[in-house]
Amino acid sequence: MTSGGEVRGRLFGKNVLEATFRAAPDEDLFLGELLVGVDDATGRRYLFRVVDVTYGTEHREPGWAERVAGTMLADDGRDDAGAHPLYEQSRRTYRVATCSCLGYLTPPGPDGVRTEFRKPKSLPTQFSRVLAPEPEDFAFLASRMGDLPVGMLRSGESVVDFRVSIPGAALSSHVGIFATTGMGKSNLMRVLAAGVMRANGRYGLLIIDPHGEYRGALARHPWAGERLRTYAARSLPNTTALRISLAELGIDDLRTAYEWSRPQEEALFELERHYGVEGLGWLAAFARLDDLPGFRDVELNGRIALSTLQVVHRRARRIVELQCVAMDPNVSVGGSVLSDLLGGKVVLIDVSGLGSTEEVLVASYLTRRVLEEWQSAYLDRPEQHERMPVVAVVLEEAQRVLGASKDRESNVFPRVAREGRKFNVGICAITQQPKLLDDELLSQFNTFFILGLADEKDRNILRASAKQDISAVGKEIQTLMPGECLIAGLAAPFAMPAKVDLYDDLVRATPPPPAPRPTAAPNIAALVD
Amino acid sequence: MPLPPPPPTIEQAAARLAGLLTYAGGTLSDPERHDLVFETDLSLQPLVRLPAPIDTWAVDGGQAVVADARCLQLVVTRASRARWREGRCVLEEEGDLRPQLVGCGEERTAVLTYGMPVRPDAAVDIGLLRDWGEWQAVARSVEEADAGAMVLIDGDLEPDWRLPPSFLDALFARATARRVTLAGVTKHSSLARGGAPLLGQLERRAEEALGPRAMWWARLATTRPDSGPNRQILAARLDPDARFSFRVDIPAGDDAPHILGSLSALADDAAFPGYPYPLSVADRLAACPGWVRDDVWAQLEDGLDVAGVPFDVRERAFTDRHRLMERA
Repeated sequence: MTSGGEVRGRLFGKNVLEATFRAAPDEDLFLGELLVGVDDATGRRYLFRVVDVTYGTEHREPGWAERVAGTMLADDGRDDAGAHPLYEQSRRTYRVATCSCLGYLTPPGPDGVRTEFRKPKSLPTQFSRVLAPEPEDFAFLASRMGDLPVGMLRSGESVVDFRVSIPGAALSSHVGIFATTGMGKSNLMRVLAAGVMRANGRYGLLIIDPHGEYRGALARHPWAGERLRTYAARSLPNTTALRISLAELGIDDLRTAYEWSRPQEEALFELERHYGVEGLGWLAAFARLDDLPGFRDVELNGRIALSTLQVVHRRARRIVELQCVAMDPNVSVGGSVLSDLLGGKVVLIDVSGLGSTEEVLVASYLTRRVLEEWQSAYLDRPEQHERMPVVAVVLEEAQRVLGASKDRESNVFPRVAREGRKFNVGICAITQQPKLLDDELLSQFNTFFILGLADEKDRNILRASAKQDISAVGKEIQTLMPGECLIAGLAAPFAMPAKVDLYDDLVRATPPPPAPRPTAAPNIAALVD
Repeated sequence: MPLPPPPPTIEQAAARLAGLLTYAGGTLSDPERHDLVFETDLSLQPLVRLPAPIDTWAVDGGQAVVADARCLQLVVTRASRARWREGRCVLEEEGDLRPQLVGCGEERTAVLTYGMPVRPDAAVDIGLLRDWGEWQAVARSVEEADAGAMVLIDGDLEPDWRLPPSFLDALFARATARRVTLAGVTKHSSLARGGAPLLGQLERRAEEALGPRAMWWARLATTRPDSGPNRQILAARLDPDARFSFRVDIPAGDDAPHILGSLSALADDAAFPGYPYPLSVADRLAACPGWVRDDVWAQLEDGLDVAGVPFDVRERAFTDRHRLMERA
């Protein structure tokens, strides 16, 4: 590794974890930029991330800079800009960059090649040169990258020629995608789905898509024919009809999807007991009831208030009228979805057209099926479980089911967050408002994709839960542009700045899957012999 | 015998000061100098900015007391130069630090070492050491300057009183021969009228008479013929946005509006409009801040170590008792 390169500044202060360096007044420094402090005395190369940039001046008089600005402003006011130049500005002013120290690369060993990345524990020599990094400075990261590509390493606004990816196994330890509108959540999700499609069945992804925004895009992927299966709640071309049997739904799904009062929940259990059928099969008969007061008085002996019963009845009718709900217990896509996931596919559930609660109902049911399947394999068929792909359930607006107020007892999603990891089932939660997620559940998420977040409360909660210290990058998060993100996870030694691939570019660059191996026709004669 | 007046109260002092500051009359004077012949009528003239000199040199000096045993001091002085051409500094010369022991006759060596043209029995102190260094730098600048250049000096065109007038005579002659203009710019002048700062009064008068953004100049005085080469003492506001005017000294025969007009072209820096920028560069170079003093002190200690001077001897010599008492 050489120690040449363009000098961006000279280190002068701070401590082991932070560094400040002086740069020329016209040095274009960006928040999030990655730089290297070259300690010639020790041969170490310290990796810095710029977290703030301020002005500096040689002049020590208080108010010097304000006075200069005031003079120039007055010239502007007289339409006489430039009347008072600031002579030799490059000598009299400068910039001061504050950096967090990410760690350092040890000097090459006797073999002259290998360096090791270590967390910062010592001060680089004062006044060391600060340089733009070289490709070799990031070589140590290569072994820590995974098999799900995300994009390119980003340094400020520049892109470094280094691929950033996460390990697919990280899907089981839960992934959070946090961003305000328009910052690139959907594109990132598509990129991750593309990675799963190309992972040769090692991973499965169950995407619940409430807005129908993934169907067209994912279908364009060259590997979609083999690796994508789309179910839709309404009639859509090239999709399989999403049909869920009432009998397969459970009261817990209802409790997850709807807000129920205590008496209403009691009513649900009372009705389940009364009908004595498996699952929610009884909803069909209950929804058909015309004489609700009579049913209450005769069949339920008046044990449920009529108003309570009316609420349950109204919701029951809405559910049984859903196109995707089948009365026939034999008609259900549950098994097919599981089979697709076991085959390492991306399963897209297009629930556009459904209401928000019904969408959660579907998601709850399918997630429960996945968890039960992987859990039972883990407990009863460990050998099979080892061969099963790691799966993740992708939830948009995840705060609806992972919020602090949600009933954790009946809600399958917190269960997945807490227990799913050991069964290889994870959640990929997408939200604009991480502050609405339950703290304890969020702490179960090992990988954060942080795109632009304007709200300080959102940033604070992520800061508290991230698996890496992101306390110094608040300003960077605030200033992220669409498609730029920070990845905080366990694999890399620091939160990785990345520029997410554009899904459309990815699709264009992806070769089609290899043709299946030709199989020889069976030699019947040989068999007869 | 009449009783002495009682000591004034703060209120009385403030009332007297107010009277002095606001009184617009009185005689012109310079409490620090008595060789000036003041103009009878101070006439304010509009100043027109002209192109900057093609070559400008600026000279300033710095000094510091490094070790102080009261009877004996180690001082350092230096003279710095900046050369300004085409809108940028082409030379920045901090100047070597000149250490000198002063006191108990030790300072006498400086007269020979630095070739000071002073009487053999002249007192030598840090002021003279610094001033001589500055004038030597001025003389060097005159020699190195291009024809048509201007050499700026921080302060008036009056060397330390111990330096003979002949030195300035020779310098002026050499400058004239080389077509180099000399100008001294004083940041904070002691010129007064009726006990109040003269330049402040002129600034107020000019603002009323010529407007708040006018550049102006005034001839204030000339030096007496018996005090060395003749000089004219001027006041000038060198930029429309200058907060202050400055005293400017130039040789007597020189064209004041032309020199001041050229000088004003160097005084448009946004950080301090009205003060010639090359002089502020020289000022920065010449400064002897605390770290310079500390650095020399560290070198001095090394030398004392080598010479085997016990620590307590040094401590007794150089400890600042005042500071110790304040801490107690």
